[in-house]
Amino acid sequence: MGIRLKNVGWKFLMILFLILFSFPIIPLIITSFSAGWRWPEILPDQFSLRAWNYVFSPYAGTWEAIGNSIFIAITVTFVNILLCLPAANVIARMNFKGKILIEGILYAPLIIPPFITVMGIHLTFIYLGFTESLIGVMIAHIAPTLPYMLRALIISYQTIGLQWEEQASMLGAGKFNRLRFILLPHILPGIVAGSSLTILVSLSQYLITFLIGGGHVVTLPIILFPFISGGDIGIGSAYMIIFSGLALLSLWTMNTLLKRYYKARITFIG
Amino acid sequence: MGELVIHRVEKKYLNHNGNPSKNPSFQLYPMNLSIQEGEFFGIIGPSGCGKTTFLKCIAGLILPDSGNVLLGKKNLTYVPPEKRPFSMVFQQPLLFPHLKVIDNVSFGLKMQGINKKVRFDKAKDMLQAVGLSGYELRHPYELSGGQQQRVSLARAIIMNPKVLFLDEPFSALDPDLRQEMRELVKQLHQTFKVTVLMVTHDREEAFQLADRLAIMHEGKLLQVGTPKNCYEKPDHIKVAQFLGSKNMIEGVVSKNKFIGKYFEVSLGYNLMNKTKGWLIIRPELFKRMCPNDLNQTVNNVHIQSFTGRIKEVSYRSGFVHYKVDIKGQSLYVIETNQSDLPLVNDQVTLQLNIKKLHFIPQ
Repeated sequence: MGIRLKNVGWKFLMILFLILFSFPIIPLIITSFSAGWRWPEILPDQFSLRAWNYVFSPYAGTWEAIGNSIFIAITVTFVNILLCLPAANVIARMNFKGKILIEGILYAPLIIPPFITVMGIHLTFIYLGFTESLIGVMIAHIAPTLPYMLRALIISYQTIGLQWEEQASMLGAGKFNRLRFILLPHILPGIVAGSSLTILVSLSQYLITFLIGGGHVVTLPIILFPFISGGDIGIGSAYMIIFSGLALLSLWTMNTLLKRYYKARITFIG
Repeated sequence: MGELVIHRVEKKYLNHNGNPSKNPSFQLYPMNLSIQEGEFFGIIGPSGCGKTTFLKCIAGLILPDSGNVLLGKKNLTYVPPEKRPFSMVFQQPLLFPHLKVIDNVSFGLKMQGINKKVRFDKAKDMLQAVGLSGYELRHPYELSGGQQQRVSLARAIIMNPKVLFLDEPFSALDPDLRQEMRELVKQLHQTFKVTVLMVTHDREEAFQLADRLAIMHEGKLLQVGTPKNCYEKPDHIKVAQFLGSKNMIEGVVSKNKFIGKYFEVSLGYNLMNKTKGWLIIRPELFKRMCPNDLNQTVNNVHIQSFTGRIKEVSYRSGFVHYKVDIKGQSLYVIETNQSDLPLVNDQVTLQLNIKKLHFIPQ
């Protein structure tokens, strides 16, 4: 009886959560298919594919924006991995003077709005010719995303002592082989977690992209924003759905990768 | 390939708080050691004496501040550890958890670029040598601690190293298993004719396995020699202490006589007058006299007799350990148990061959 009640309670909670989470999405879907939805109508009078037609029309540039968003997010992720692997290694497993200071600087974007950093480097970027270019936007996206990757990798590195690499080098593994066969397999979950966060944070950047890209680098938030702030709500809703789908898809992909990884191997014991 | 020579290897660990030159946290004093090909060499010392650091300096995992490591005529001091012909088994098995047993054992061969079939065949042979045939496809977490350490041994020996380092490899195992592993290591040493350098804090282990020993204390090598020599003729009081000497009496030598606070005995050999130091009497040197024998006169001038009272008696699997109080000096005696145990407070006469006494000058 107790178990049954518990099950019922659990199911009830799950349903409640599903309703709460899906509630904001329902009006989004309805709006995106409506031809105007005014008060006091409970459901819109007319449905139309106008918004979706526009979104996928050649002149809307949606595909380009999706492509740019994904390309920027993935590149930023790779750059972050390359930057954070050595940094996290040193911070997690070694002691040196000024370690706290360096950690503080690297984590700073979590506390100080990245916008401030980007305002600062804007001038330099103009001087270097990085503004209004994909490269500039990618570099700018590193500021808000790096701390997440770093945090995830530091935690991964903290769980592997130096003795595993000592053992590997006694077996003839050089630096590269130690990284490839010993370190990477161990910290892969951390890399996946850091990558998920990097992708999500990069996908949702608006202000930084706008500032550095100057409107020339079109990502999903860039074309989405004008529609939801006073533009066409129907088209804005359609874009919102695409945006959420993209974020969900990337999370799901990462999650699947992790699960597959954990099935193939088990945790570090002794 | 020749002997392994360690020439004046030195390492300092600086204390970050305060003046480093005045207050080094830990120091390995210049070390000289040479290990013959095929030898089983043991380094023993209490924990924290620097033996693992010393081992890592030889292996190349720690770069010494100065000194050289030579193998035959080759100088290995600046060769990275992965390029040295050495293998190591650590205190923990350190099997790579994401690799199966066979991949773990053949890891070193893979690093040498040997093809899969050859290395798997070798790994299978090696697993058989350590008694783990049939475990090839298991993951490390499916093995017990002892089995993991066996795999670790197999993984080290498969490399056919010129020197195999063992860094307290059995200290994490329970006593029965430890004994089993010691026998396995001894057997592998003979089968594969590998030079072994073992670090341990376990006297019994060192005495059982090693051909020669080095005793380390606070970053210094105090004595190098055969186990028998180190035990019977320690050069240093710390060596005697660490090797478990029971009777260490502080005193001074005067006219070939050792004079302690409560205890005096003639010495069987000449020493400078007024030398201060310690007299070491191994507890098994004493011979307890039966009351019947007491009337027989002793002809040997080297035999001296002492009479005292028995204090504590304990029986330990075939041996009797007891303390005898001789005019205020407590002496520890070990003898094989023949019939009845000696009784506390009994009067006892002990004979001692003074030629076998050992004196450590201060």
